[in-house]
Amino acid sequence: MVSLEHYVALSGILFALGVYAVLARRNAILVLMGIELMLNAVSLNFAAFASYLDPERVTGAVFAVFVITVAAAEVGLALAIVIRLFRLRATSNVDEAAELKW
Amino acid sequence: MTLEEAQGYVLLATLATPLVTAAILVLIPSRYRMAHRYLSLAAGAVMLGLSVYVFAAYQVGHDPIQMTLRWPWVENVAFLGEKGVSLYLGVDGISALLTLLNGIVAFGGILVSWKIDYRPKDFFILYLLLLTGVYGTFFALDLFFFFFFYELAVVPLYLLIGVWGSTRKEYGALKLTLYLVAGSVLIWIGIFAVVREAGLGTFSLPALWEAGQSGALSPAFQKTFFPFFALGCGVLAGLWPFHTWSPDGHMSAPTAVSMVHAGVLMKLGAFGIIRLGIQILPQGAEFWMPTLLVLGTIGAVYGAVGALTQRDFKLISGYSSVSHMGYVLMGLGTLNAVAMTGAVLQMFSHGVMTALVFLLIGAIYDQAHTRDMKDFGGVAKVMPLWVIGYVIAGLANVGLPGLSGFTAEFHIFVGTFRSYPVFGALGIVAAAFAAAYMLRLFSIVFFGPLNPRWASLRDARPVEVISGGLLILSILAMGLYWAPFVERVSGTVLHLPGVAN
Amino acid sequence: MGAEHAWLLAAIPAGAFVVLALFGRYLARGGDWLGIAAIGTSFALFFVVLADFLGTGSGLGPFAASIDWTRIGDFSFPMGIYVDPITIVMLAVITTVALMVNVFSVGYMKGEPRYWWFFAVLQLFAASMILLVLADNLLLLYISWELVGLCSFLLIGFYWEKRSAVEAAKKAFVTTRIGDVGLLIGIILLWREAGTFNIQEILHLAEEGHFSHTYLLVAMLFIFVGAMGKSAQVPFHVWLPDAMEGPTPVSALIHAATMVVAGVYLVNRMLPAFEVVDETLLVITIVGLVTALLTGFMAFAQTDIKKVLAYSTVGQLGFMFVAAGAGAPEASMFHLMTHAFFKALLFLAAGSVIIGTHHHQDMGELGGLWKKMPITGTTFLVGSLALAGVPPLAGFWSKDEILVVLDKQWGPWAVSLLGFAAVLTAFYTTRLFIRTFLGQPRDAHIAEHTAETPPVMTGPLVFLAVLSIVSGLVVFHEVGTALGFPGGFGEFVFLPTHGPHAYEFDAAFAGGSVVLAVLGIFTASWFYWGGRLDRSTRLAQWQPRLYDMLVNKFYFDELYQAAIDYGVLGFSYVVSWFDRYVVNDTGVDGSAQLTGYTGYILKHLQSGRLPHYAMSLALGVVALAVAGLVMRG
Repeated sequence: MVSLEHYVALSGILFALGVYAVLARRNAILVLMGIELMLNAVSLNFAAFASYLDPERVTGAVFAVFVITVAAAEVGLALAIVIRLFRLRATSNVDEAAELKW
Repeated sequence: MTLEEAQGYVLLATLATPLVTAAILVLIPSRYRMAHRYLSLAAGAVMLGLSVYVFAAYQVGHDPIQMTLRWPWVENVAFLGEKGVSLYLGVDGISALLTLLNGIVAFGGILVSWKIDYRPKDFFILYLLLLTGVYGTFFALDLFFFFFFYELAVVPLYLLIGVWGSTRKEYGALKLTLYLVAGSVLIWIGIFAVVREAGLGTFSLPALWEAGQSGALSPAFQKTFFPFFALGCGVLAGLWPFHTWSPDGHMSAPTAVSMVHAGVLMKLGAFGIIRLGIQILPQGAEFWMPTLLVLGTIGAVYGAVGALTQRDFKLISGYSSVSHMGYVLMGLGTLNAVAMTGAVLQMFSHGVMTALVFLLIGAIYDQAHTRDMKDFGGVAKVMPLWVIGYVIAGLANVGLPGLSGFTAEFHIFVGTFRSYPVFGALGIVAAAFAAAYMLRLFSIVFFGPLNPRWASLRDARPVEVISGGLLILSILAMGLYWAPFVERVSGTVLHLPGVAN
Repeated sequence: MGAEHAWLLAAIPAGAFVVLALFGRYLARGGDWLGIAAIGTSFALFFVVLADFLGTGSGLGPFAASIDWTRIGDFSFPMGIYVDPITIVMLAVITTVALMVNVFSVGYMKGEPRYWWFFAVLQLFAASMILLVLADNLLLLYISWELVGLCSFLLIGFYWEKRSAVEAAKKAFVTTRIGDVGLLIGIILLWREAGTFNIQEILHLAEEGHFSHTYLLVAMLFIFVGAMGKSAQVPFHVWLPDAMEGPTPVSALIHAATMVVAGVYLVNRMLPAFEVVDETLLVITIVGLVTALLTGFMAFAQTDIKKVLAYSTVGQLGFMFVAAGAGAPEASMFHLMTHAFFKALLFLAAGSVIIGTHHHQDMGELGGLWKKMPITGTTFLVGSLALAGVPPLAGFWSKDEILVVLDKQWGPWAVSLLGFAAVLTAFYTTRLFIRTFLGQPRDAHIAEHTAETPPVMTGPLVFLAVLSIVSGLVVFHEVGTALGFPGGFGEFVFLPTHGPHAYEFDAAFAGGSVVLAVLGIFTASWFYWGGRLDRSTRLAQWQPRLYDMLVNKFYFDELYQAAIDYGVLGFSYVVSWFDRYVVNDTGVDGSAQLTGYTGYILKHLQSGRLPHYAMSLALGVVALAVAGLVMRG
C-alpha cells in the first residue's frame, strides 16, 4: 500500500534536491528550477496530507493551488530579471551579480 | 484668579518667552541682524526679570511645590489613565534657585553674543531653544515633559558648538552630543520602567513620588533602576569617570554656549538625580548614594589635581568644573540635609562663577587667539577690569569667605563630615589644591612684568562689563547675605525622602 | 555705648574699605585721611569698650548674645562676639599698631601707584583682624582668618609688577591654606561632637569630658596645625621671610604685630581644651622651641634688614607658643603685646631707613646711619634693646616671664634651650643694629644722600618706642591697679583653672635673663663693632658648609620645591595623562572607535552575493525550527 509516509518522504527528497539546487548551483536558471522544485514538493506534501487526513474538504489541495499560482507569478518575474541581467552582463552566473554590497 | 494660579502662568511665561521669541526670529529675515540681537536681548531681560520674580516670590515654610500649572495633554489612551501626560509646571526651593541661575547666566550669555557675525539669527534661535529646554526641565512636574525639555536642552548644543565653536569644534560637538544622548537613553529606559512599575498610567511626578515613597515600587526595583537615572543624569553632571566630554566640549564651544553649558546645564544633571533619583526611588538612592559619594569625592580631588598642570585656560576651567561638580555630587551622596543644601548652593555658586570665567576667557581669546597660559604675563597692566573680574571668580572658586563658593562648600563639608569624616577631609584638601592652581593662573597670566606682545590688548567691553558685573553681584550676594538662599533650599531639602539631619 | 558695641570697631574700618575700594581713586589724597579717621575712631572706641569692660569687672564677656544667621534642622550658623581679657589685649594691640602704621604709611607710600588701594586693604585687614579676636564661635573666626589671609595676599603682592612679589604672595597664601585645611578639619571635628561652634561652650564640654580623649586630641592637633600655618612655625615658616616683598608698613602690621599672632591668639583662646589633652602642650612647646632656635640661627646669616626682622618675628612667635605650651596664657599674651610694639617699631624704623636711604635695605650697603638719621637710629636702638631683653624695657619683662613659667612646667632642659634662643636673639639684634647704624658707611654714595624722614614717619616711631619702654611695667600689680585693671597682667589674663597670678620678682631668673641678653650683645659686638668684619668673615670661612646651610635657611625652600615638583606636580601630570589617554582616548574615543570597527566588520555580511543570502535564509529557518522545538519541549 502506498501510505502517507511515502508521499512525505518523496516530497522531502524533492525539497532537499530543490534546496541543493538553490544553494549550490551557479546558473540562475538552475536556481529558479530549484525553487520550482521546492514549491512543487511543498504542494505535493499538502495534497498528500489533504487526501489522506482530510478527504472531504481537501483543504491541503486548496493550499496547493495557491502555491502553484504564486509560483507561476514569481517565476515569471524571476525569469524576467534573469533575462535582463543576461542582456546586461552576458552571464547568468549568480556569483557575478554581486554589485549590491558594501 | 488666585495668586497661586497667576504664578503658575508666570512659569509658563518664563518658559514661553524664549520659545516664542525663537519663533518670531524664524520669521524675521536674516539680514535684519540688529533686530535679531535686540529681540533676543529683550527676551533675555524678560527672562531675567521673571526668574528673579520666581526666586523672590517663592515662599519659605509653605508647601515645597509652588506656582503650579497643569494643562492636560494626553489622557485615557492605551496605558495612560487619568493625568496621563500633562504639561505640569511648578517649582520647589531647589528649582527656584536654579531658575534664578539660568536667568542670570542666560542674560549674560545673550549680551556677550552680541558680536557674533556669522548667521546670528540661527545662533540666537538655537540658543533660545536651549534656554527653553533648561527652564522646562526645572519647571517640569511631568516625566514626559521633563525628558522632552531635557533633550531640547541637549540637542541644539551640537549645532551651536559645531558651527560657532573653535578648536576642533566638530569633534567636540559630536562627542558632547553623543555622550549626553547616550546618557539620555539610560534616563529614558528608567522613565519607562518607573511608569510601568508604578502602574498608575501617569507620568506625573508628584504621583510617582507618592508611589515611590509609599512602597509601590519595590526595593529591588528601586535598586536596579536608580543607576539608570544616576548614570544618565550623572553624565550630564560630569560624574567621574564620565566627565571627559566636558573639557573638550568647553574648549570647542563659543563663549555664550560655554557659559550656559558649564553654568547651568551641568547642574541639570545633578538636578535630575534629585528629581528623578532621590524623589522617585528613595530606597534605591539610599543604597547607591555611598557609591555616588565616592565618585563625587574622586571627581573633586581628581579635577583639582588635574587642573594644576594644565596650560590652556579653558582646560583649567573644565577640570575645575569637574572638581566643583564633584563637590555637588559628594554633597548629594551623603543624603544629609546640610550637605545637600550646600550641594544645591554650590550648583548656583559654581554656575555663576564658571559663567563669569568663561565670559572672561572668551574676552581675551577673541583678541589674543591663544589660550596658552605661558604666552601671557602681566596683563593686569592693560586689562585691569578683566583681571579684577577673574580674581573675584578665582577667589570664589577657592572658597574664600565673603564669596559664594565658601557658603556652598562650607555647608557641604560640615554636612559630609557628620557621616563621612574622611571624605569631608578629602574635600577640604581638594580646596587647598584649588588655591594652588588658581593662584598659579593669577601669577603666570595676570601679574608680573607685562609681556610686550600684549601691550595693545584692550580691557573688557561694555557688554562684558555688564554681564560680568551681574555675575559678580550674584557671587557677592550669596557670599555676604546667604539667608534667603539657604532658607529656600533647606526647606525643600528637608522634605526630600531619606534625607537625614 | 559699651562692650556690646565692640563690633563697631570692626564695622567702621569695614565701611571705610568699601568706600575706599569703590571711590578711593577719586578722593583727595587717595583717601588716606579716611583710612586714618576710621582706624582712629576704632582706636578711640577701644578705650570706651575697655572702660565699660573694666567697670563691669573682669571675667566673662558681657556680650554673649549671638544671632542665628541661618538654620538647617539642628545646624545653625551663628554670629556673635565675645569680649574677655584676652580680647582686650588683642584689641589694644591691633588698634594701636594699625593706627601707627596708617599714619606712617602716609609718608612711606607717598608717590606710590595705587596709593588709595593700599589704604583700602589696610582697613579691610583691620576690620577682619578685629572681627577675628571678637568672634565668639569658630566659624566666624575661620571666616575672618581667611579674610586676613586674603589681605595679606593682596598686600604682599602690592607691587605686582615684580615677579618676586607675586611669587611671595602666592607662596604665603598657599602655605597658610595648607594650615587652614587643618584648622577647618579641626573645627568641624569639634562641631561634630559638640553640636555647636561656640568657643566657650566647646571649652566647657571639653573640660567636662564630653569628648573622648583620642578624638579631642586629634581635633586639637588639627587646630594647632592651622595655628602653625598662620604663625609661620616650622615647618610652615617659609612664607614669612618672602612676605617681606610687601611694603614695609605691611610687614610691620601684618607680619609682625597682628596677623601672624592669630595662631598664638587661637591657641591661647582654646588653651583650656588643649589642657584637657595635655600631650598637645608638649607638642606646642617643642614646635615653639625648635622654631625659636632654627630661626635664631637663620637670622645670623641674613643681610637684608627686613629679612633679619622677619626671622626674628618667627622666632619670637615661637617664644609665645612655648609660653602657651607651658599653660601660661598670661606670659604668652604679655609677650605678644610687648613684641607687637617693639617689633612694629623695628619694622617701621627699617622702613624709615629704606626711605631715608632711597630704597636700600641690605646691611652690606649701609652702616653709620646714626649720624644722618638720629631719630630713626634712637628708636631702632630702643626696639633692639627691647627685643634683646634688656631691662627695664618691655621685652625683658615678657621674656623673663616666659622663662619662669617654662621652668615651672617643663624644667631646666626647656629653659636652657629657650635661654640659648634668647642669646641668639640678642646676638643677631645687636649685629643688625651695629652693621646698619654704627661704624663707617659701606657705600659713600648712599650715605651722601641719606636724610632723616619726615615727622609723619618718625612720629609713630617715637610713640612705639615709648610703648616699648613702658608697656612691660604693666606686669606689676601696682601699675595695673593704677590704670584701672584688677592688678598686674597676670591677674588680668589667666587660665580659669590656674587662677590669677600676681607678679613675683624672681631675682635668679631676672639676673639670668640679663646675663643672657648681655652675653648675646657682647658676643655680637666683639664680632662686628667698629666695622671689623674680619672676625665674622673668618667665622664664616671656618665652617663653610655650616655657613652655607645658614645662608640657605637650612634648605627648607629647596626641599619644599623638590617635593612640589616631583610629588604634587608629578601627581598632577599623572592625573592629566590618565585623564587624556586612558579615560578619554581609550575609554571614550576608544569605545566610539570600537563601534565603528564593529560596523566595519559587520558590513562584510552584505556581500551582495545571492548564494550567501540564500544560505543565511536556510540557516535561519533551521535555527528557528530548532528553537521552536526546544521551547516547545
